[in-house]
Amino acid sequence: MDGYLGPYATVGLLLLVGVLIIGGAFTANRLLRPSRPNAADGKFDTYECGLDPVEGGWAQVHIRYYIYAYLYVLFAVEAVFLFPWAVVYLAGGAKVIAEMAVFVAVLALGLLYAWRKQALRWL
Amino acid sequence: MGDTISFPHLDYAALWPMLILFGAACVGVLVEAFVPKAWRNTVQLVLSLLAMGAALVMVIKRAAAGVTAANAHTASDAISIDKAGLFLQGALLVLGIVSLLLIGERTLETGGPFVAQAAITVGSEADRRQAARESGATEVYPLALFALAGMLLFVTANDLLVMFVALEVFSLPLYLLCALARRKRLLSQEAAVKYFLLGAFASAFFLFGVAMVYGFANAVDFNSIHANISTSDKPFALLLIGLAMLAIGLLFKVAAVPFHVWTPDVYQGAPTPVTAFMAACTKAAAFGGLARVLYVGFDRSNWNFTPVLGVIAVLTMLVGAVLAVTQTDLKRLLAYSSVANAGYLLVGVLGGGAAGLSSMLFYLVAYGFAIIAAFALLTLVRDADGEATHLSRWAGLGRRSPFFASVFTFLLLAFAGLPLTSGFTAKFAVFGAAIGGGQTWLVLFGVLSSIILAFPYLRVIVMMWLSEPGDTTPSVSIPGALTSAALMVGVLVTLLLGVAPSSLLDLANNAASFVR
Amino acid sequence: MTLATEVLAAAGQVGTGEKVVFFILAPLAVVGALGMVIARNAVHSALWLVLTMLSLGVFYIVQTGPFIGMVQIIVYTGAIMMLFLFVLMLVGRDASDSVIETLRGQKVAAIILGVGLAGLLGFGVYEATRGIVPVGLEGANAAGNVQGIAKLLFTKYVWVFEVTSALLITAAVGAMLLAHRERAAGERVGQVAMMKDRFRPGNYPGPKPGPGVFANSTSVATPAKLPDGTPAERSISPILPTRELTAAEIANKPTEGK
Repeated sequence: MDGYLGPYATVGLLLLVGVLIIGGAFTANRLLRPSRPNAADGKFDTYECGLDPVEGGWAQVHIRYYIYAYLYVLFAVEAVFLFPWAVVYLAGGAKVIAEMAVFVAVLALGLLYAWRKQALRWL
Repeated sequence: MGDTISFPHLDYAALWPMLILFGAACVGVLVEAFVPKAWRNTVQLVLSLLAMGAALVMVIKRAAAGVTAANAHTASDAISIDKAGLFLQGALLVLGIVSLLLIGERTLETGGPFVAQAAITVGSEADRRQAARESGATEVYPLALFALAGMLLFVTANDLLVMFVALEVFSLPLYLLCALARRKRLLSQEAAVKYFLLGAFASAFFLFGVAMVYGFANAVDFNSIHANISTSDKPFALLLIGLAMLAIGLLFKVAAVPFHVWTPDVYQGAPTPVTAFMAACTKAAAFGGLARVLYVGFDRSNWNFTPVLGVIAVLTMLVGAVLAVTQTDLKRLLAYSSVANAGYLLVGVLGGGAAGLSSMLFYLVAYGFAIIAAFALLTLVRDADGEATHLSRWAGLGRRSPFFASVFTFLLLAFAGLPLTSGFTAKFAVFGAAIGGGQTWLVLFGVLSSIILAFPYLRVIVMMWLSEPGDTTPSVSIPGALTSAALMVGVLVTLLLGVAPSSLLDLANNAASFVR
Repeated sequence: MTLATEVLAAAGQVGTGEKVVFFILAPLAVVGALGMVIARNAVHSALWLVLTMLSLGVFYIVQTGPFIGMVQIIVYTGAIMMLFLFVLMLVGRDASDSVIETLRGQKVAAIILGVGLAGLLGFGVYEATRGIVPVGLEGANAAGNVQGIAKLLFTKYVWVFEVTSALLITAAVGAMLLAHRERAAGERVGQVAMMKDRFRPGNYPGPKPGPGVFANSTSVATPAKLPDGTPAERSISPILPTRELTAAEIANKPTEGK
């Protein structure tokens, strides 16, 4: 478990173990449980609940969601720049910290704009 | 972690113009957030004009202090503010100020040329209300500032990655500005979507090209690329693929022919002040960038790209001219004429050497002022539905408003390249440079397409003066102070550059050198 | 550094691990890309795209670019994919692509030209890179991949890095401008106004009656019956499409004797 891909192999192994445990549990369940299927009349009918299943299950969402998703993308991109900054700011000193501060401040300006335009209010 | 980071030296004297514009744009966003609505337009307009003016002063100061090869580069050579770059920055700022006057015009119709809230559904009750009453969105000012700042960076980028970021920085605000017309909003939104999608493709091509060039040169800055081309014995295939893809990205922005299809739709759909801004400034920025790529980065492959770009230049001139003949809408006509003009500019670039570069710089300024003035006039001719841009509506305009018709006639003659206008001087310079560079075949096609292109201009002139005005002939609105100023500046410069071009020619000749 | 050299034994050599990963994921990436183009349902298209993006992310990681790989997964498969899906949901299910070609033969021409371009580029790059030994990877990753990127970001490209923030704020302002509708002060409805509206004469302030589903069918589209036997229109949710109910649906349910 060393070398460049070693840590990833560890994660992969963990994933495999997880799949095995859950899969094993379900298989054990299936093997051990009693099975007495009862296909009584009307068992699978919709009864007294839910909407009538007509047409597709698609609803148009409000454009508000789009703005939220968009702001999320922006800050995800900002976070991407924060990662490399986090490993060098000690080495870089005050100037590197100041550069990142300016970057974050400009983006915060965008958030401020969104807040003042009441894009962050749900109603 | 180990070694410390040596922060690069930033030459603020050189970076001030960009810093001012970016800073002012950020302040503009703050203004949007905190200044009451009634005040926003005035505050934003004054702020933007002041910022552009201050940036221009900084450019002039630096030019006066003198640019040498020693102080041209800054930020670890990522940015090269040399003489040509400084000239382009100055030209962009001046053209930007003049088009900002058009963007700021609010007297021609209630609320100005921009929609108040672009998110309101087109044709709804709320839309009719806002079209009639509400004042236009003032976010256009910070957007225009961001675009202009990106252009300033684009023409001084000394590195393909810097260039790519700058390309995006100036493109994105333009896509947005295109979607904000007050009238014919669906057309405007369609224009924005088309421009955005095709622009995104062009950017992707540019980025692929950067990767290919990196594969060849193991570097993305122009100096290393040039050094690699000069010394490397590696096969050129990667380099050629890379250069072709870079060229696609850049030729899209200048609207050269296989990549021009967006131009008429976008020019027609965008709000006319934005069209003027795009026609003048985007063209200048894109040609500045293209020239830097070709002159600084890919110099030795000269013999390789000249025939290909020459064919593109010929196609651009001919297709632009021929399609301009068939247009019935003035905005589309001017769009195709701008395509053809991109061809003439390419001829200048291919002329090569200092002469080619200086002719291109001169042409960009001359054409920029003329096209801004032409679009300024287009905003004046209007009826109840907004601007009347259909050609038939202009019939008989000469009888109704002889003054404005004369001005437009003068501008069309300038586009056609008649003597005593800037168009003649500019074309003369460009063709002269091409002949000097041994590209006579380009000049032949250039003259041919100029002759074709004169036809649509003359047709408009004939329609304006020789037809009787009908019931549907729109009236010419009295321009507000801002439009008047833009129109006057544009026409005067067009005249001045035709009559006494020597000072600008000297300036362009003096500026025509990139520092590698 | 040793990290890199473990898998990529020497410069230009492809390790076994990388080969295995490549030959499993490369076909998946291509299948994902084809699926994205071919799938009729837009959501399926987006999900195919996720497959391709994830495969690419793993490729980057395997090629000793862990930072770009993670960015690919965080930004593209995370944030941008979410944006895609929201846009698809905005557009709605009924907005399907028009299958009528406005330009005749445009699809065929596009496919031929696209395949031609891909072939040209693929062949060109293959020819150009054949026999060339890649260099510089170890130098670039000498202090670690993320550190190397950080160093470039805060030295040579520091100005561009700051300019990127301008790009991001432009995008934020643009999204707000095109998608957010600012409500005027009078347009927002307060609690008092809502209550007044509810109790104004002519409006029925109480809760609406439930549908007839409990009494006589399995469908909520069945209206409740008023005392006089007429259907109560108000008992059906307005979002339900009106349709003919089948005989089985209106038939009274046999609730006894079962």
